[in-house]
Amino acid sequence: MNIYFLSESKLKDLMNLLFGYGRVFASKEAEVASNRNSESRIFIRELNKESLTDYRIPGFRAFDNFKSFVLPARSKIADYPSESWADIKETKKKRVLVGLKACDLASFAILDKVFLDDADFVDPFYKKRRESLILVSSDCTYSSDSCFCNLMGYSPYLDKGFDINLSEINGGYLIESGSDLGNKILEELSLPDAKENQILSRDKKRKKVIEKLQKGNSEFKKAFSRPDVLVSGTFDSDAGWDLGSTCVSCSACTNVCPVCYCFTLFDREGKKKEQYERYMVWDSCQFKGFSQMAGGMNPRFSHMDQFKNRYYHKFFRFYERYNIYKCTGCGRCIDNCLGDIDMREVLSGVYGSLKVK
Amino acid sequence: MDNIYYPRQAKLKNIKEETPTIKTYQFKLDKKLKFKAGQFMQLTVPGVGEAPFTPSSAPGAVMEMDITIMKAGRVTDRLHEKVKKGDTLALRGPFGKGYPMGKFEGKEVLVVGGGVGLAPLRSLIYALFDKIEKVKKVHICYGAKSPLDQCFKDEYKKWENKKRVSVNLTIDKPHPDWKGNVGLVTCLLEKNSLSKMNVDIPNSYVVTCGPEVMLKFVTFKLLDVGFKPEQIYLSMNRRMSCGVGKCARCNIGPYYLCKDGPDMCYADIKDYPNVFG
Repeated sequence: MNIYFLSESKLKDLMNLLFGYGRVFASKEAEVASNRNSESRIFIRELNKESLTDYRIPGFRAFDNFKSFVLPARSKIADYPSESWADIKETKKKRVLVGLKACDLASFAILDKVFLDDADFVDPFYKKRRESLILVSSDCTYSSDSCFCNLMGYSPYLDKGFDINLSEINGGYLIESGSDLGNKILEELSLPDAKENQILSRDKKRKKVIEKLQKGNSEFKKAFSRPDVLVSGTFDSDAGWDLGSTCVSCSACTNVCPVCYCFTLFDREGKKKEQYERYMVWDSCQFKGFSQMAGGMNPRFSHMDQFKNRYYHKFFRFYERYNIYKCTGCGRCIDNCLGDIDMREVLSGVYGSLKVK
Repeated sequence: MDNIYYPRQAKLKNIKEETPTIKTYQFKLDKKLKFKAGQFMQLTVPGVGEAPFTPSSAPGAVMEMDITIMKAGRVTDRLHEKVKKGDTLALRGPFGKGYPMGKFEGKEVLVVGGGVGLAPLRSLIYALFDKIEKVKKVHICYGAKSPLDQCFKDEYKKWENKKRVSVNLTIDKPHPDWKGNVGLVTCLLEKNSLSKMNVDIPNSYVVTCGPEVMLKFVTFKLLDVGFKPEQIYLSMNRRMSCGVGKCARCNIGPYYLCKDGPDMCYADIKDYPNVFG
């Protein structure tokens, strides 16, 4: 695959080209309270020609996630009985996502397993939304203390899964295509080929980020070698899970997680008489009501059952069903936890308790 | 492409009161629907929501379907209180795998129900009657709170008169109108009861449905009298929403009841957490 060089001043040309395809949503350093560190100032915002002037692609993932572009927090999925389909207006044109990091790209591949690749039941709404996306990703140029993609088998960059990928280097970006559409866009830009020393500089940058990640996460490596085996070793005991005691079941972790997709359906009366609407809304396994049945029985009654379920789903159940872990190591759950719970420390605690046994 | 969340309309032909808290809703469908015994439907009360139920009528390609429902929660309250004969509700499905009918050939089948749990088993009973020459025997064991709480009362005689079929009933507490067995349904599974019924334990399968606590003690009793986990099929209860293996709440271990169940072999689930709540 050809690698080209996009000078910093030409980023605008690329963005203008993307505007021609549809609305553009990009991760962007936003103006927020000054007490936030640089890693938590990046948010996903819609870009337009006016807001483009000082736009730079951040070198780190957004604080929020991109899953709402395929699974909105609330979306109508049926108007019954009259219409079997609910309209998805936003997919009539393409939507361009800019600044996705490797962890964001990986999250789409994980969600696809459930909503697209399940041959028995394809979610038609997910499919439409997913197909409407153009993915413009970029390498991480730095990592934070909560990042652990390396423990989940990912790295701060990917070589597939995007339409276009940008790698920041001195004076601009190296840019490459990962799809036919990406090829077409790059052709239109008619860019110079990347020079060898530029590619070397990109590889050096990538290596530096990986080394920092490895160093920061070295103490957790053992617990993450086979997390499926680890968590399934604690089915009959809560030993080692003590860190869960500060969980307040707020569901922040599942909401910011790019691959937590649990949802519920709810119905209500429509605007016309004898017409009804069905919605899909985000739900969270951290709520007691998530698995509470009519009559009051609840298989996940205790706080610890709910807390552990998130880990069981991510590292055991999903792995058993799809042969892939339901976690990209993005660390958003760590940044957002009210109880200061760090998933890496939880699994290490479990690892410690099993080893002691 | 089909919308997997869209419910098809179904007209309510009749409502039959089984007990003060259980009613059988008889639906007339707009086109043929094929379902296997044990598969379930998502029943929509328009504007209120959905709840999963296994039909209680005979499986096959059908134009009519019975669903027997106990008043127990938000959707079923509305069903019992507001819905009338002639109303139009909606259905989605069938979902799930259904009972492993092939395994029952040449074997004895113990059908153990508790309360409204006899509803999905009635569908199984009809499916077994349909190929009765292929199974050795069918032992129906049913426990209810009192004679007033028994479902499908007018059918027991008919069932009992079939060849190779026995019907064994019990109620929880003594009642002036009751002359039969008294005790929880597990009392029908004691060693001496089983030998009275001439059950050939090594060559039998058990299919059971009822409240979670009953499933638990039925399972323990069965293991106690010599059944193996592989011989026990449980109609498990979990909260469901999507019915298609996506919303991720109805799991036992790695299995989703909506796709892999709702009837699970005890051998497959016994080592996972909170099997019986």
